[in-house]
Amino acid sequence: MKAVILDGIILGLGFGLLGVGMTLVYGLGGVLNLAYGEFAVLAAIVVAQAISGGMPTVLAAVLGILAAATAGVLLDLSLMRPVYRQSTGHRVLLGLMLTLGLAFVIEGVLTWRDPLGGLTISIGGKPISILGVPIAVGSVWAALITLAVGVVLLVFFAATTFGRGVRSVIQDELGARLVGISPSLVRTVIFGLSGALAGLVAVTQSMTSPLTVSGGFNLTVYALIVSVVGGLGSVAGAFLAGILLGIVDDVSARYIGSYISDIVLLGAAALTILVRPRGLFGS
Amino acid sequence: MLLEVSTLAAGYLGQTVVQGVNLEVSPGEVVAIIGSNGAGKTTLMRAIAGLLRPMAGRVSLAGRDMTRWPAHRVAGAGVAYVPAERHLFPAMTVKTNLVLGAYPHRPQREALELVFEIFPALKPRLQQRAGTLSGGQQQMVAVGRALVAQPRLLMLDEPSTGLAPKLAKDAFEALGSLKGRGMTLLVAEQQVPLALSVADRGYVLENGRITLEGTPHELDRNPEVRRAYLGVA
Ligand SMILES: Nc1ncnc2c1ncn2[C@@H]1O[C@H](COP(=O)(O)OP(=O)(O)OP(=O)(O)O)[C@@H](O)[C@H]1O
Ligand SMILES: [Mg+2]
Repeated sequence: MKAVILDGIILGLGFGLLGVGMTLVYGLGGVLNLAYGEFAVLAAIVVAQAISGGMPTVLAAVLGILAAATAGVLLDLSLMRPVYRQSTGHRVLLGLMLTLGLAFVIEGVLTWRDPLGGLTISIGGKPISILGVPIAVGSVWAALITLAVGVVLLVFFAATTFGRGVRSVIQDELGARLVGISPSLVRTVIFGLSGALAGLVAVTQSMTSPLTVSGGFNLTVYALIVSVVGGLGSVAGAFLAGILLGIVDDVSARYIGSYISDIVLLGAAALTILVRPRGLFGS
Repeated sequence: MLLEVSTLAAGYLGQTVVQGVNLEVSPGEVVAIIGSNGAGKTTLMRAIAGLLRPMAGRVSLAGRDMTRWPAHRVAGAGVAYVPAERHLFPAMTVKTNLVLGAYPHRPQREALELVFEIFPALKPRLQQRAGTLSGGQQQMVAVGRALVAQPRLLMLDEPSTGLAPKLAKDAFEALGSLKGRGMTLLVAEQQVPLALSVADRGYVLENGRITLEGTPHELDRNPEVRRAYLGVA
């Protein structure tokens, strides 16, 4: 049981980081980016190609993350422009359609160019014992990186001027404009951050299990579920929800069967909408 | 001239609401825009603040054309607009709301001191979430947030909205003390006696056009104003 929960927490940290990139973009303007998981896959392919081209792993990872961040910024500057001109209801729908279309395009192109593509970063060494449970070195590294980035994000959004500015746009866009904040600039920056986070998750996930060209859709779904449960627009909520859902996922997979865990997660999201529509931390 | 509005037209979806508006505010002056419901006061304020793109005319601040600037740029140039609906950040504390007024800078100590001097009621509530404040307190935070920016021009749309008569009077007294400190104010208000109590000059807006301009004394004596806005037969 202890091992299952520990594994769940490690998995959940990754979920949390994934959720942050989805939830911020939604909170800032009502766009659920269905191409989000494909940004991770894009990063994974870039990293894999760079490594096979002889680049050191760390440098390749940075390159992949930058590629995904660039994809995020480009998406904001192109397809999202007409979306943000719509009023709220139409905005959600148009955003869903356009990002879904983009997801198909990215997945199609990557599958066509690199059908067997994927990323595995193996870190050697004997499993490390945490609370008496042996954990693979790759998982420990992935969890540490995720935790560190999570803390940086929390501090950034709580205590820096720009972080407060981002939260102000989420809470009242017109109020933010009145204090001199440009919502469209904030959205562009956060789209870039969102892409970078997708890229980072691709890297950390591939330290524990391979990420393949077809893995993008799953990541998008996980990110959506974490966003809903954590509260749309909340960084702390995304991490808390990620950890909870990671544990739920691991426990249900272990004791019932892995076929059930996705359904349990979707159920958790549906239940959240019914019981607490703002999510754990939503405002 | 600090603010200069000339032959301004603005409206929604091609439908003109205000037109041919000429209006000026000198540094240190308190100017009121009065008019009944639907006259176009809010539309005019929004067009000056950059929330609504003017259809024609010109808006300039200290001689600098800012007609088509987006709202965040107008704010950055020193025009703070407090809308009637306040638009605070409800889940943030009073303190964070005030701090954000200075975005992207840190708030100046003098600016915060001024806010607590004008609105002492805010001081014990700095850690309270803005969304849980009463309407009167929210109004204080909204004006306070605008003051933290140390604006060259403070624009307020119906500061009396949603306030009991006593609180509305307090709000205008606070504006009076800002005036005493040299703040330049442009205030839209339908409670004409309140507006004229602090103003140096007033404009009457009717059906989207300025029909009258003058000192409070002149407007007070005007038979039209007396009949339409002061409830005097
Ligand atoms: N978003 C909008 N879309 C279309 N028409 C609008 C919009 N906002 C205001 N109007 C119209 O513009 C006209 C002027 O409205 P405005 O809000 O500027 O008046 P006001 O003088 O501020 O009134 P009040 O004293 O009631 O606040 C009204 O006829 C109103 O119906
Ligand atoms: Mg109005």
